[in-house]
Amino acid sequence: MTEEKTTGLSRRRFFKWVGGASLLAIGGQAFFFLRSCIPNVLYEPVKRIKVGLPNVFPQGHKFLSAFRIFVFKEEKGMHTVSCVCTHLGCNVQISEFSQPRKVKHGDEEVEETFEFVCPCHGSKFRADGTNYCGPAPTPLPHYKMEIAQDDGQVVVDKGEEVDKNARLKVEA
Amino acid sequence: MKSGIAKRLLWSWRPESQREANDAIVKNMLLHWFPSTVTKRSLSFSYSFWLGTISAVLFVILSITGLILMFHYTPSMERAYPSMKDIDFATSYGWFLRGVHRVAAQLMVVSVFLHMMRVFYTGAYKKSPGKMGNRPRNWVVGIILLLLTLALSYTGYLLPMDQLAYWAMIIGANVAASVPFVGEHIKLALIGGTIIDQNALLRFYVLHCALLPIFMLVLMAYHMWRIRKDGGLACMDQVSLQHGMTDAVPASTKTYSLLGITSGIDIKVQAPSQMEEEDRILSSPNLVRRLWLVSLGTMAITILLAIYIQFPLEAPADPTMAPNPAKAPWYFLWLQELIADTTFTLAGMTVNGAFLGGIVIPSILLVWLVAVPYLDRTSAANCGIWFPRERLKQNIVFTVVILVIVALICVGAFCRGPSWVFYWPWEQWPELPVNF
Repeated sequence: MTEEKTTGLSRRRFFKWVGGASLLAIGGQAFFFLRSCIPNVLYEPVKRIKVGLPNVFPQGHKFLSAFRIFVFKEEKGMHTVSCVCTHLGCNVQISEFSQPRKVKHGDEEVEETFEFVCPCHGSKFRADGTNYCGPAPTPLPHYKMEIAQDDGQVVVDKGEEVDKNARLKVEA
Repeated sequence: MKSGIAKRLLWSWRPESQREANDAIVKNMLLHWFPSTVTKRSLSFSYSFWLGTISAVLFVILSITGLILMFHYTPSMERAYPSMKDIDFATSYGWFLRGVHRVAAQLMVVSVFLHMMRVFYTGAYKKSPGKMGNRPRNWVVGIILLLLTLALSYTGYLLPMDQLAYWAMIIGANVAASVPFVGEHIKLALIGGTIIDQNALLRFYVLHCALLPIFMLVLMAYHMWRIRKDGGLACMDQVSLQHGMTDAVPASTKTYSLLGITSGIDIKVQAPSQMEEEDRILSSPNLVRRLWLVSLGTMAITILLAIYIQFPLEAPADPTMAPNPAKAPWYFLWLQELIADTTFTLAGMTVNGAFLGGIVIPSILLVWLVAVPYLDRTSAANCGIWFPRERLKQNIVFTVVILVIVALICVGAFCRGPSWVFYWPWEQWPELPVNF
């Protein structure tokens, strides 16, 4: 009777390794699948856009639906407010007051003529974008504006947020 | 046994004994899905309302009509909405196919939910007396099936690319994005970009037409197989208990062939006190006939509703303006109500209602539902009876949860006007400026 060889890889151990390796292989491929769903290249509209010469904008506000922004032109200058609600991304709309209202911003009291209202879940924002009512957690962002060097058009950069008091000085 | 024309056409042979009748069921491809004999109690309409069967029948109707609709629908941003209009107005009977698909989808949400309620109120998720049974596991499978039903209905109403679809995609994507740390990645993986475009539509289309239905089919098969392994519907446990079969284990060590086991000589028959013969009736025709009736009834109701209820599309998707008020379909209104109400600020930290109401609260609800059979310590004697006294506490908690959901749906459906402002149903909504 020959002596059984007990050293080396046993049958049970071998199949455990094979099973483990198979699980690892399947898990790895599951990761590949999930990762493949996150795009590396986006074919989406650019975030820096020319919106026209300053003099085409009326005093007050203009809604640029294609870019999802409101462009305001007032005495102090121009500024851009996003129309995308910070709650879940619906488009907020401007709701004009029938009477101007006094609104407290910190210490100072300002007279406002309108507010932003979201149709989906009823968030409300002051004229400067501050959220004050409803489920929106943060204010509407203001975007950086500048004048293009080549043709003098107004450029809005949706990739860069600025302070709500920032204004672009333009000649009326 | 009378030999009618159908019998003469379809059968070459007539069973002479109970045993041969059992064998006949096993030998028939379609009938072998059923046990050869069943108890009258598990066929009773007032016990189960046949809700699981109705859900399965609706799934079959949805698969068939959905497959035909796939011939007519194009999942592209340019063609989706026009192809839906063509289905409704240009294709012969297109309105009927879409109507049946849509009615069946809504009915399935209802029937699956009612099925879950039935299982809860009868305690049918409790571990059965037999050692083989694992009803808690089947309850968990059922919860996944409910989630799949909701996911299928969500991805389904995204496909027409009307206003409802577009803004539901935006809200769905942003709820996913509200998860801390990985949210933005989930959103990217879900809609394949940062805005709703072709990628998003194609992904939801593949989910709706291939991935989710396949999962559904596999889990449905498992769900039904488990019912058989658990010894039939939960009311069967009562029959077993009456016969003192709490330890229904094969007494002998004799081995049976696979055929022997499938032809009805199952574990229960081996038990010391055998089930009385008069409790059991043959599946064919008793089960088969009722199954036909339930299937035909489900189909008839679906068709009638599809003919009499109109399902107009909303306006084509307009990324510049959400409809006001923008309401989800009724079965998601409670979630919409939750995400609209749950933003809060604590110690300077603002938590978006999208995360609390859209992710956290539904997850808690789900974890509770999954844990229910493992938390429920009432005795197995309550399994398979409607509203047993010992389970009063569980039933009250469950009913309260259901009522809260129904109440939120009602608030969302009847009491929310423009900008999600609360109005009583009899109050007039203010007129909205059309341009802004």
